[in-house]
Amino acid sequence: MTAQVTEPPATAAPPLLAVAGVDVVLGHGWRATQVLTGVDLDIWPGEIVGLVGETGSGKTTLARTIVGLIRPRQGRIVFAGTEISGLRGGARRRERRSGHVQLVFQDPLRSLDPDLTVGEIVGEGLTIRGGLDARQISEQVDDALAKVGLEAALRDRAPGQISGGQRQRVSIARALAAGPRLLLCDEPVSALDASNRNYILRLLAGLRDSLDLPIVIISHDLSSLAGIADRVVVLYRGRIVEDGPVSQVFSAPRHPYTALLMASAPSVRSQGDRPLTVHHLRRTAADPPPPDGGTACVFAARCPFAIAACATQPPLTTVADRWTAACHRHQEWGELASKRPRHP
Amino acid sequence: MTGKPPRDEVLGLENLHVTVHDGTATAVRGVSLSVAAGEIVGLVGESGSGKTLTCRAALGVLPPGCAVGPGTISFERQDVTDLSRRGWERLHGTGMGAVFQDPASYLNPNLTVGSQLAEVLRVKQRLPRRAARRRGIDLLAAVGLHRPDWVSHQIPGELSGGMLQRVMIAIAISCEPRLLIADEATTALDVTIQAEIIELLRDLRDQRGLAVLFVSHDLAVIRELCDRVIVFYAGEIVESGPVGEIIERPRHPYTQALLRVASVGDFRRRELQVIPGQPPQVGADITGCRFAGRCPAAIEACRSGPVSLAPLSDVHQARCVRATDPELTADPELTAVPVTTAAATAAAEAAELAAR
Amino acid sequence: MTRTTRRTPRSSVLRLPSARIAVAILAVIVFLAIFGSALAPQNPLAIDAGALYKGPSLHHLLGTDYLGRDVLSRLMAGTRLSVLTAFEAVAIGLVIGAPLGVATVFLGRSFDFTANRVADALMTLPSIFFAVAVTAVLGNGLAQAMIPVGILLVPVFFRVTRAATLEFGRAQYVEAAELLGGSKLHVIRVHVLRKVMPTMAVTTAQAAAGALLAVSFLTFLGIGVQPPAPTWGGVLSSDLDYLNLAPWAPFIPGLLIAITVGALNALADAFRDRAGAGELVSPVADPVIKTHSTLQALEAADDRQTAA
Repeated sequence: MTAQVTEPPATAAPPLLAVAGVDVVLGHGWRATQVLTGVDLDIWPGEIVGLVGETGSGKTTLARTIVGLIRPRQGRIVFAGTEISGLRGGARRRERRSGHVQLVFQDPLRSLDPDLTVGEIVGEGLTIRGGLDARQISEQVDDALAKVGLEAALRDRAPGQISGGQRQRVSIARALAAGPRLLLCDEPVSALDASNRNYILRLLAGLRDSLDLPIVIISHDLSSLAGIADRVVVLYRGRIVEDGPVSQVFSAPRHPYTALLMASAPSVRSQGDRPLTVHHLRRTAADPPPPDGGTACVFAARCPFAIAACATQPPLTTVADRWTAACHRHQEWGELASKRPRHP
Repeated sequence: MTGKPPRDEVLGLENLHVTVHDGTATAVRGVSLSVAAGEIVGLVGESGSGKTLTCRAALGVLPPGCAVGPGTISFERQDVTDLSRRGWERLHGTGMGAVFQDPASYLNPNLTVGSQLAEVLRVKQRLPRRAARRRGIDLLAAVGLHRPDWVSHQIPGELSGGMLQRVMIAIAISCEPRLLIADEATTALDVTIQAEIIELLRDLRDQRGLAVLFVSHDLAVIRELCDRVIVFYAGEIVESGPVGEIIERPRHPYTQALLRVASVGDFRRRELQVIPGQPPQVGADITGCRFAGRCPAAIEACRSGPVSLAPLSDVHQARCVRATDPELTADPELTAVPVTTAAATAAAEAAELAAR
Repeated sequence: MTRTTRRTPRSSVLRLPSARIAVAILAVIVFLAIFGSALAPQNPLAIDAGALYKGPSLHHLLGTDYLGRDVLSRLMAGTRLSVLTAFEAVAIGLVIGAPLGVATVFLGRSFDFTANRVADALMTLPSIFFAVAVTAVLGNGLAQAMIPVGILLVPVFFRVTRAATLEFGRAQYVEAAELLGGSKLHVIRVHVLRKVMPTMAVTTAQAAAGALLAVSFLTFLGIGVQPPAPTWGGVLSSDLDYLNLAPWAPFIPGLLIAITVGALNALADAFRDRAGAGELVSPVADPVIKTHSTLQALEAADDRQTAA
């Protein structure tokens, strides 16, 4: 099954989800840490966006902020014209009951109540929403289970009685039953082996095609998204460093961190086939010390190409059509990299 | 694999069986493998394939309810199959070391990592306190930690996953073992850190002649690190050989399937492969090939009787009736030529767009 | 760690013999509390001057007291008063303390802080003296005397249910329910209540044991007793006055109190064990390392082993 690449529509149409200038601080007092800074992200209908970042990049925090579990210190989240970041209490519950934006949590063992049956879990959103009788809810639940390839017989089982892959699918089914217009999946495949991972990714791509549902897939592994994402957004320590169409970013990334992620990913093909290996992209003792200080580029400390100008955080600049990167040297570091020694 | 083990064999398993659930099921069947000094051998397979149990048996730390059935385990050519607990304790750390998946759960969260590392040295090597601390810091530097002094004074909660795994590796090699067993040691790490740990393991092998048994479900990681790879399925070895050979000329359909599934990272190949079906229940009684139920190439002969691990060459073996069948070896996915330079990539893409 | 209260056949309360015995004993006690007066072989108030402090005999199975009254009948009749007032105290504690304990987790930080401080204050009061003080004000009835005991049980229930709710109230499935638009009430009803029940059962049994002891002590002191109404503590108290005449006598009511309290505690243990038996230790198969993980590696490995 081949997934089609969806080109984002012409920029005249407004995005379905707009995250604008979001700063998030977690913790209180002296323990407070800024986890996200100045995040701008737009999601258009029908696209699959891969949100990539390592531990500490803020990707889960971003997902939780979008759905309202975390309040941003600054910035707004706008969905289909409605600002959802400012909602509280009853208004927030109403917006949530509409089911528009759904989050699939990372760990199904923690996000599925072990005392409920699969049927009760998947139908919970519908029960909360009200207005449907038991039979109608049951039909919708069966429908959602079918969409993720699970048989209706699983409804009476508890989460502890099904496999890990099936649990992940139940979690997705719960989100689908709510009738979302945007789906966020937090590391849906990180705990799975390659075959199950591909199965779930194919499933998600299929859902995008059949339901015209935009999906944001959060992952720490860039390469696993290559086969499914239309667009890739790379987060590093709370900032977006690159955001562009998958074919462009994978052919020639404009931010050295993106290139490092790609080069680090193991492959069944030999390293000799890669234009850039990790050694091209890591700092060595021979490189000049990077600029320091609070305003410096978040990646400067790890970047072999940092210059004096990197003492100020580069803004996200447009490097090509619908492609942005936050690097002062986005045009020249590539060539510098290929000149570095291939081996340490 | 009969015959005398090679002079520098560090770990040898001969026809190893491991039973689980108090002997009611056999989870590992007839596994024979050999790891020589300075070799990095990879064990790859799905969960439940028996690779972890095999390692645990080799370490003498089988969970309760599990036991070694027929078969022998030898360390540096000495039989350790029926070693007493005392014997295993002597071996642990000094003969073989181990690193597992989640380092944080193997460390006391309330003590500094330096003190935990020093404790190992004091207990196993009887080093006095100060010398143990000093040596601990040297070890932390040897595993690639910058500022080992500072790291030594941190508690696990203050260190990242990658740093903790380095600490675990330091602990594992602290008493100079000849064998290091790494069971999914990089599975839980970020991809950039995973690359660094893989390099570290390779460096340790180069510098110390350490033999490494590396277990993973990720064939790509194995390909990056290992010299030889052994493929496990449903408790048996189904293929083994040098990693380059296995990757380029896999002879067992399961290995081929693993390769197809592992081939990601190419945004042009938007065909995500899966391996349909499920592996058999642990210890299930199956006549014939245990993969036949999921195998696209299964024939009558596959189900009629047990299939043995047959040598295809000096170094390559496969447990498949059709291993030498020329039809089986041609795999269009694998023969696609990967593009090497960025310019060629752009050209290929432009050609593809033009063709659409 | 995700715990389930889902019952498995293995985890019945009656699994252990000690629990079975405890339930049997308590069933008898409850039966006596309801029918004790009617079934007593003799009139518990009937004085027989000729049979003072007689030992056990066919006519008086447990002997007679200092007024010749049949001890067995007095104890059977006294069961109702002792048991019912003990349960009155427990009911006060449960009905006020438990809902507050659950609610405080969801009602915000200031409410929680205040509630905790009130609980702290209540817990500093010594119960018996408080009871004495209250009866001095409200009058000398046992029902009145148990009210302060009940009030002092409120912080116990509050604390315990709060702790149990905290464990489950911030779980990810609760977040998931909130994201679906679930109100706090929905979350409590569907997710939390079922999980704090085992803890509440344990606490209730323990509180009942404590309250029964408090009743016995109060009636022993003569508080809340309208003589000649029989109570267990009252019987014990009068027996102690005549110890030189009938040294065996205090053992009888004493044993009765001890056995009942013991049975309640055994029942509490059985509830607790049953809650433990249903525990599903959740392997957090989280590949991205979080700090302070516990048991993740082994469990994640086990999870992979069992995942089909």
